[in-house]
Amino acid sequence: MKLTVENGCFSYVKGQPILQNMNFSAQSGELLAILGPNGAGKTTLLRCMMGFLSWDSGKSTLDGKDMSRMTPKELWQHIAYVPQAKGTSSALLVSDMIMLGCTNRLGVFSTPGEKEKEQVKEIAEQLGITYLLNKKCNAISGGELQMVLIARALAASPEILILDEPESNLDFKNQLIVLDAMSRLAAEGMCCIFNTHYPTHALMRATKSLIVPKSGEAFFGNTAQIVTEENIERTFGVETIIGEVETSGNQYKSILPLRIARKTDKPQTAFPTTRAIAVITILFSDYGTGETINGLLHQYNHYIVGRMGMPYREGNTYIINITLDAPRQEIDTLFHRLSILPGVRAKVTFAD
Amino acid sequence: MKNREKIILILLPVLTALICIGIGRINIPLSEILNSVKGHLFGGVEFTDTIEMTLWKIRLPRVLLALLVGAGLSASGCTYQSLFSNPLATPDTLGVASGAGFGAALALLLGMEFMGVQLVSLLFGGIAVYLTMLTGKNKERRGMSSVVLAGIMIGSLFNALISMVKFCADTESELPEITYWLMGTLNSASYEALILGAPFILGGILILVLLRWRLNLLPLGDEEAMSMGVNLKVLRGVTIFCATAMTASCVSMCGQVGWVGLLVPHMCRMRFGSNHLALLPASVLTGSAFMVVVDTLARSMSASELPISILTAVIGAPFFILLMRKTESWQG
Repeated sequence: MKLTVENGCFSYVKGQPILQNMNFSAQSGELLAILGPNGAGKTTLLRCMMGFLSWDSGKSTLDGKDMSRMTPKELWQHIAYVPQAKGTSSALLVSDMIMLGCTNRLGVFSTPGEKEKEQVKEIAEQLGITYLLNKKCNAISGGELQMVLIARALAASPEILILDEPESNLDFKNQLIVLDAMSRLAAEGMCCIFNTHYPTHALMRATKSLIVPKSGEAFFGNTAQIVTEENIERTFGVETIIGEVETSGNQYKSILPLRIARKTDKPQTAFPTTRAIAVITILFSDYGTGETINGLLHQYNHYIVGRMGMPYREGNTYIINITLDAPRQEIDTLFHRLSILPGVRAKVTFAD
Repeated sequence: MKNREKIILILLPVLTALICIGIGRINIPLSEILNSVKGHLFGGVEFTDTIEMTLWKIRLPRVLLALLVGAGLSASGCTYQSLFSNPLATPDTLGVASGAGFGAALALLLGMEFMGVQLVSLLFGGIAVYLTMLTGKNKERRGMSSVVLAGIMIGSLFNALISMVKFCADTESELPEITYWLMGTLNSASYEALILGAPFILGGILILVLLRWRLNLLPLGDEEAMSMGVNLKVLRGVTIFCATAMTASCVSMCGQVGWVGLLVPHMCRMRFGSNHLALLPASVLTGSAFMVVVDTLARSMSASELPISILTAVIGAPFFILLMRKTESWQG
């Protein structure tokens, strides 16, 4: 399933457009991060995308079908929305709250039965929140509530999950729990779209990124090409450096904010298209992940000049080694997409 | 909810009604009541006339009316609380009861039939809730006090209009009637009135009970509720209509009976939680039993009958304060 926004424009007040010519898409298995400074219209974008607000012009489509022409029942069979967990006054039990997600499948006058109860248990187990099921929603922490809201969205068995700032207001550990859940869902074939304040989260998790600036054109593309020092400076007005941290198994990128940028209108520099030779080493232990990796590598077949793959069963590890001769940015993108897969260890070494 | 609780809840109004029907100026023991019921069902038993008369002509319609009004007010209170995700939203605080009261008083003044009284009452009840929603709307939808403040304003507006009606009424005949009726009384109980009033209340309860799973969506945020694939406008419209129609019908039959719509759903929330699957049926059943008890007290405590509002307030207010202090205040 593929969600596409074509030429989306929106303004609350005529003549003061908030969103202009938004063009982007996300499909099954992808994690799309929507980044932008406060007040740029990230939440408005989500609301337009889902049809809570209607585009002034342009449209959002699901597999080519105009979403504004779909009935609510039809639309919400495919997409599910996870609002920001801002604390709730709801005293519903967590299990009931999750079960609300099944409502769309039930007849108007029906009540959930055994099948739905089973499903709620399964989802809770999958997300590791079984211990919450018998608590009240207003008696659990913000991070727990966020997981409950994700569970509720999953109860609708959607193909596309849209999350509004799922990790803001959460502490370090809970951020990781939520982000891990999203990464895992995407790896299992879900399309996740989320709003975030943190460029680092986009960089470390998202397949694709969309940066919504306060004015001007939005940037959309593979995260490795979009979340760059230059784009962040242009949209957030902050000078940063993207540093790399290497551990025994991975190379991580992280964004370090330096200072507020002075106003300059630097012309956008083109990405270097110089060719480079690089070796990417990939280690993983889950057979299923291998299929995802092979699918990904297949897209880059024409750049791969050498390839070695072997299962080392005794060590419960699969090893893939590829040598690429490709434009530098293609290598960066491929490496980034490999490194955000859950359970994958990957390193890249350039020959230059 | 456990099965045992279910059985108790279902038996509660039946047993209360059976016991209370025997209490009054003429006390009828339970055995005679059961005998009489048996006799009417299977025949072959002789009765004394006074007991027959009291039981079937006077007490039964009154107890039925009490059951109906208690169930209706509790169900509408429970629905309003969820609709506005506000613990204090009830027919009384939202001004619906005052609006419906004004409509009914106006219709009485104009000498309308009972059906007309109900419809005019429903119309003004609807106008009142609409005005309250309009006034109480603010940017932060969850501003709890604003809806209640709006309700108080709209309520006092309609109370003023009721005074206006009273002022216009004939002091000899109409005024005492309207005043006494407004204080709340189930005196008017008759089978004819029941036949006209019951469809609104029973219909409202039936629709809400059928919709009870979806009522759980009402306290959520708009977009959250819509993302469950529900047509929120229709759901809201239907539930507001049902709740208002039930309130209007209750008010037309027995004036302004306060507190029930606040007290009963709150008690049920504390005991059975906020899931309407259990909460709504529990409110309906408990509310009807509660009303029968209160009405029995009203008609048998003193030589002359007490207005029922006085009793609900005297019982309700302290009990409510006690409950508020014992548990956490709001269970949405």
